This record gives sequence, structure tokens and C-alpha cells, in this order.
Amino acid sequence: MIQEFSVVGKRLPRIGAAERATGAAQYVADMKLPGMLIGRVLLSPHPHAKILKVDKSKAEKLPGVEAVIAMEDVPRKAYTRYPYDMMAPAGVTVMEVKEHHEFYEDERIFNDKVRFVGEPVAAVAAINESIAEMALELIEVEYEILPAVFDPEEAMKAEAPIIHDSVSHNIRAHLPVTFSAGDVNKGFQEADHIVEESFRTYKQKHCQLEPSVCVAHFDLSGRLTIWSPSQTPHVLKKKIAYIFGLPEGMVRWLTPIYIGGAFGGRQSLTNEPICVALAAKAAGKPVKLIYTREEDFVTTESRQPICYTFKLGVKSDGTITAIQVKTFTDAGAYYSHSGATTGMSLQQCLWVYRCDNVAGEANIVYTNTPVSGGMRGYGNPQAMFALEQIIDMAAEKIGMDPLEFRLRNARGTGEPTAVYPPTPIENSALHECIELAAQRIGWSEKRTSRKDGSKRQGVGMASVQHWTGAAPTLVEHSSAFIKLNGGGSANLCVSSCDLGQNILGTLAQIAAEELGLQADDINIVTGDTDVTMFDSGTYGSRSLYGAGNAVLGAARQAKKQLLERASEELNAAPEELEVRNRRVYVRTTPERSMPIADVVTNATFNSVGQCLDITGVYTWSTLNQSANFNATFAEVEVDTETGEVKVIKVVIAHDIGRAINPAIVEGQLEGGAVQGIGYTLTENFVVDMDTGICLSNNFETYRIPTSLDSPEIEVILVERPVPSGPFGAKGVGEAGGVGMAAAIANAIYNAVGVRIKELPITPEKILKALKAK
Amino acid sequence: MKRQSAKFVVNGKPSEIMLASHMTLLEVLRDQMGLTGTKYGCGTGSCGACTVLVEGKPVLSCLTLAVTVQDKNILTIEGLAEGNTLHPIQKAFVDHGAIQCGFCTPGMILSTKALLDENPNPTRQEVKEALAGNLCRCTGYVKIIDAVLAAAKEIAKGRQIT
Repeated sequence: MIQEFSVVGKRLPRIGAAERATGAAQYVADMKLPGMLIGRVLLSPHPHAKILKVDKSKAEKLPGVEAVIAMEDVPRKAYTRYPYDMMAPAGVTVMEVKEHHEFYEDERIFNDKVRFVGEPVAAVAAINESIAEMALELIEVEYEILPAVFDPEEAMKAEAPIIHDSVSHNIRAHLPVTFSAGDVNKGFQEADHIVEESFRTYKQKHCQLEPSVCVAHFDLSGRLTIWSPSQTPHVLKKKIAYIFGLPEGMVRWLTPIYIGGAFGGRQSLTNEPICVALAAKAAGKPVKLIYTREEDFVTTESRQPICYTFKLGVKSDGTITAIQVKTFTDAGAYYSHSGATTGMSLQQCLWVYRCDNVAGEANIVYTNTPVSGGMRGYGNPQAMFALEQIIDMAAEKIGMDPLEFRLRNARGTGEPTAVYPPTPIENSALHECIELAAQRIGWSEKRTSRKDGSKRQGVGMASVQHWTGAAPTLVEHSSAFIKLNGGGSANLCVSSCDLGQNILGTLAQIAAEELGLQADDINIVTGDTDVTMFDSGTYGSRSLYGAGNAVLGAARQAKKQLLERASEELNAAPEELEVRNRRVYVRTTPERSMPIADVVTNATFNSVGQCLDITGVYTWSTLNQSANFNATFAEVEVDTETGEVKVIKVVIAHDIGRAINPAIVEGQLEGGAVQGIGYTLTENFVVDMDTGICLSNNFETYRIPTSLDSPEIEVILVERPVPSGPFGAKGVGEAGGVGMAAAIANAIYNAVGVRIKELPITPEKILKALKAK
Repeated sequence: MKRQSAKFVVNGKPSEIMLASHMTLLEVLRDQMGLTGTKYGCGTGSCGACTVLVEGKPVLSCLTLAVTVQDKNILTIEGLAEGNTLHPIQKAFVDHGAIQCGFCTPGMILSTKALLDENPNPTRQEVKEALAGNLCRCTGYVKIIDAVLAAAKEIAKGRQIT
């Protein structure tokens, strides 16, 4: 039966679009409160140094300075900026979480030694920015400079300086064989061919256009309010309470509905702890702390560089007999997401394709460089850059079309998902995606077209499995509350954060569909942890699925009440009623109907004494998930004289389950794809290997794609609704960029026969490889 | 710090501001005039989020000393719509999914206005070139370029009618 929808599936403009187009949208960066002070942070110029003394006296005397803080002024509690240590991973009870999160805690607001250039050492709050700036220059810090190490392989050597006292060889964690299965030695013996290769990735910066920003204020009762554009307000609220020793109820976290991008960069704490510490010192005055672009580059997190050594065994018929992967991850100075990201990455390497014998291990290594963290894709783009090239190499070895090789080996419906611990794949439309995208890019013709002349063209692909939420690694938890209003509108209270992806608008579409309303009948109430129920956060392509299910559940409850109330008025049983077009109808005799607005008004305003607010509340939580899939194809032109790579066309066919708002889904995939192109070709977070100074701390030295780098992108939405998703929907937020680096690298190989194994793929690397060929 | 009075014409309205010589146009607009639609994205003139039009030409307000644009006509994003009626460029951005987080949008729309004022019927490549100084990290630019081309058509239609 084809379901017909009135709101779901519509290409509605994102909510708040006009506000954003007219400058009316207020971001935290735009906030101004009466009496508000401006904070600035003093950053370490040294990559590794003990702090012997911080002399604040001169800065404190400067007129207009209201607070100066260093180590002695802030809580000494160890914590991690990483948010998910506060949440129970699968199978762990709340009582066990404490031990779990102590494992991660390796930093303090101001540490007694700095571990990277750019680590905050002290901070000031003053009546304006220029005074704050001057005050910073008056703070005198005495350092004892220590030897530093910037390269993760160097850091693992015996003679390397130790960055955290208790961690020998700077190996913070060794992820063991949890993800392994079978016997790889046996598997390699059974193989006809063995392919071995190493791949390196680098740190990618989120570069959300609104820099990290926070406003914090303690009221007279000691209650703390934080305004910060976060992805995980409820979790970070807990974390701030934990760091500052406050009861959770004394912290209120406000996340505005206008957030200037995130891409994973706002999952962790950024400058909130410093801002809160300044506000604590500033005696009742609100403090605003906004990072400059340069500060944002060095002090906040970036995508982990993960390096892979792959060994894959394959039979001539295309059966994969063994996969072995050894990786190391440059965590930077603090552990944060690096273990979690690497685990997700490793799991993808080992489990996406059918293979009985898999083994993986990973070292997570500290270096004296800026902290690594989660970024859109969370380890999967790194994994795919390696895996999807190895797959092409294996296919070539046995003389099989790499597309065929993937169709043959990719795990599908009912087989294990590549997220630990594996649950069955609910539905995979990957085969369909691959075939559709191949057709649109002209795979067979272009793959085998003549490769000559100085500018050569080629096509490459990657197939992508990506998670929808982090379950069962983390428990999924989202809640929603709906209240119907007289007049026929509804208030939807959710905690999802609109990072640009219009999650609030899309959730409104879900609520409207279920309640028989239009999307603009739904008012969104959000961004206040005092009001919204717990939500684990907006990350991991989870919100439409997780919060979407919560919204659907709440809407169903509200609808139930609505129909019960209407049944008295329409003189029909509730189960005989349905809602659409803002009215309640008797299903079999639709001429009997009444406006939803009247039902709600009669319920809430009546003089017979049966007043009822029509509401629905629902919490959705699961240990399952529904992976999403896509096929990412790239067509490139390589200039063999200059080494330049131009992406001519990208085709992504994505298994979305159902597109609640197709225009939004396309936007997610297009945006992800171009971020992926930047990751592959132009971006590079460069740390000077002598000084530890970040050399790419602005948009001139760190080049994100411009409009000129944006190729023709064709997005194909493959809609195969899944039972577990709201109206059948699965996630899409991260997947657009996940396969891009591999697809481009494979296309380059197709064009000019060189394989680039280290990101970014620069003209120098291409020329060098062409020369060596 | 020495301050002196300076006059500007912002969004058609004359105004007088006490100005220190080091202040950028971005600071004056955001901090003094409360026009926060103009954004700080980098402070080095590389992202275009602070773009405003001075005498119709796009200018990076974070790199422009306010004293240098005294008495000039300055258009910020707040001055583009007429009341609640969006300018055709704004409408096209809304309708074509060209806005995600929206932080680049004001600058992007003003760069588009400068383009279409000068070249009412640009090719896709010309649009890309005109917007190359405005970074967007969300959209991948596809829908922005679509919106600009749609706006050009819409504006041309309006011109034919009048």
C-alpha cells in the first residue's frame, strides 16, 4: 500500500530561513546583555612546559578589568571535554559509569603543565575587548620548557618525552581485539592474493563559520546560566555541574535556535569551562567569551589523524578471506574522542565487508599538538580512505571490476552492522545505490575510456555504510513533548540542536503529519535544559531518527487525546476518527468532521468542568540502530603536468529510508560531499615539526572549498522505508563526505595509474607519484 | 582613546557615531549600531561573512577602517528587505535551500546583489567566480548557486513587468 502524506516528503524551506536571510537571526556571537563583560584567553606559546608561576597582579590593576583567572582560581577537578563519558555505554549501568568516565579524565580547566601551543593558561574579563586584550599582555607566566614531540610515531618511541605522567610511550590506550573474529592467519593461508598497504590521514578542522562562543552568568542565588551553541546541551550541562561541583539543578544551558554550523565541533566542551570560571570570579556579571578564528583553530578539536596498515587476503573468485588492520591515532594533547573515534573507524574497516577472519588493533597516542576530536563522520571518512582503496587494489589483483567486487562482498540486510557490538542491518539498499550511481556517472564507459594526453579523466567509487546514531555503543535517548493550542497550532518541545541541518523544521514536519496539521502550525520550543527533556545530543546522524521517533511518539499520544475528545463531539468512537487538513474526520463518513482548532479550544476552555490540555510526551531509547548506506562516485581530471586534480562530477546515491524533506537531505549530502572534497584535496592542518606551532590557523593558510571548488553534484535519494525509523527515515547528516576521499583517490588511480595513500592529495604528491611510476 | 564624531548613511538612514580611528566598519555596525546581521567569521578578510555594500560595491567590513567610509552609502543585510517583503535574492535563498546554518548568508546575499546589479544575467561559472570570496561550510554551494541564478531570473521578470 502506498502511504500518502501531506507534510512528510515535502520540500519545505528550512525554518528560520527568512530570519537568516535578513540578518534578524540572533546567534550567541551576537548576544549582548546589560553589564556584560568580554573575556579573552591567554594561550601557551610553548608546546610542552611546566607552569611555575602566573603573575596576574599587573593585569588585575588595569582599570576596566573585572576578573583575572589562572590555575589557582579554577576547580582542580580532572575532566574530559569529550561528552559521552557521562553516558552509559551499552550494557553499563549508571553505577558503573563513574569508573568509565574516570578513564577519560586527563585535563583540567588550566593544567599545571601545558601540552600544546595554544593551550589556555589564564583568562581575563573586562568591560570591553580592547581592555581585555591589554590585560592579557600584562599577565606574566613563568614556564619551565620541556622537550616536546609532535609526530605520533616518534611519540611511541622509548626516548620520547612523556606527555602525561602515567602514560608510558605516550600510548594512552591500546584498543584490543574486541572487534576481531576467526583466525586471520588461517584466512591469509586460504587467500590466492594478499594486498598490503599503509594509509595516512591528517587533522581536518570543522571550520564552522561561527567561532566557539559562550556567555555565562551566575545569578544571586548562585544558579548558573550558560548560552552556548552546543550539539549536546544536556550532557554538557551535567559536565559543567560536575567540574564546578554544582548540583545539576543549579545549571541551566541555553542553546539558541541559530547556530553557526558545528560538524561535530560543538559536541565537546570548547571554551565554556573558562567562561564559567570567569563568570564565577566576576561577581554576578555575565561574561562573553568568543574565540578569534585563530584561537578556534588551535584550542578546539579537529578530526583525528588515523594511520592504517592494511593486509587483506582474497581468493581469485572474489571471496575476502582475511582482513587485518593496525592503526595508530594522533590524539593530540588530550584523549577526548580519540579512543571512541578510532574504535568506530576500526569497526568499519573490519565489518563492512563479509569476511570470517578479521583482526584489528589500535594505539591512541598523545602528542604535543592541538587536541583531536570528533568531526562529521567520526572516524569513518578516515577508515573509508584506507578500506575503499584496499578494496580497489584487491579487485584489480583478481581482475574484477571494483564495483562488482563491492556488490559481491558488502554486507547487507540481516547481516551484522559495522558498529560494536554488531546488531543486524535493518535494511540495506546499497546494491541499488551502487547501480543507480554507476549508471549516472557513466561508470562502464568512463572507467575504460582512453587515458592519454596531459589532462586525463577517470572515475572512482566508494561504497559507504554509516551509522544512524551511536547505538549500541552508546544508548540512544531522545524525548519530545507536544501541546496542542487553541486555534489549532501545536508546540513541540525537543532538545535537538539546529546546526544548520534544519532538524527542528524536519521534526515539525513529522509532528504535523501525525497530527493532521501543516508544518507551520508547529511552534518549536527548544534550547533550554530547564524546559526540554533529556536528549543525548545532536551527533552521529541520529537526530531525525532518534528525536524523530520521540516526536512521533509524542504526537501519537496527543492525537489519541485529541480523538478521544473529538469522539464526544462527533459522536463516533476514537478509532473511527482520523486527522488531516487541520480537521478531525469520521473515516467512513467524512462529511462529519470538525476543525482540530475547535476540538482543542473546547477541551481547554469549557465551563462544564472537564478542562484538558491536549498533550503528548514520549521518550525514545534503544540499543538498536538502522545503518544508512550510500554509493559515492567521483569523476576527476588530473593534469599530469601540474599534478592538479579537478573534480568534475560527483554522484551520490543514498539509502535514506524515507526523505522527510528531500531538499534538506540533498543539502546534507551536497554539503558533506564538498567538505569531503576539501578533506581530500585542499585542506591540511599543519603543525610545525620544530616548534609545534599551528601554521594553518586561518582561512588563508587552511583552505576550505570555495564556490569554485564545488563540482556538479548529483544526489539520488533511494527511499526504502525502515520499520524502526519515523515514517521509515534513517540518518544522513554525515554520510555525504564519508566516501569522498576514497572515491577521488580511486578516480585518480583510474585516470593516471597512481595511488595516493596520504591525505591531502596535493599536486606535489601526484607529480612525485607520476615520476616514480 | 580619542574619539571623534563621524557620519554614515547606513541602509538609507543617516547616522552619527563617535568613532575611534582604529575601529573597523564591522565593529561600528555590530557593536555601535547593533546591526548584528553582519558577521565576524575570521577577521582576516578571507571568509566574506562580514561583506557589506559600500556605494553598491562589496566590501569586507572586518578589514575596512570605519573612518574611510564616512558619508558613504552602506548597505547591510538589514537594509535589503522592504518591511516584511524579502528582496528577490533573499526569497530565492529561502526557497532553494541555499541556507543551512545561515552564518554566511548575509555576506553571500550581499555579494550576490553586487553581482546581479552589475551582471543581471550571469552564467553558472560567473556566479561561482563572484561568490568565491564568501565561504560556506554547510551547503557545498550547489543550492546557493541555484538560488542566485533563480534570483537573476526573478529580477529580470520584475524588470519586464515594470
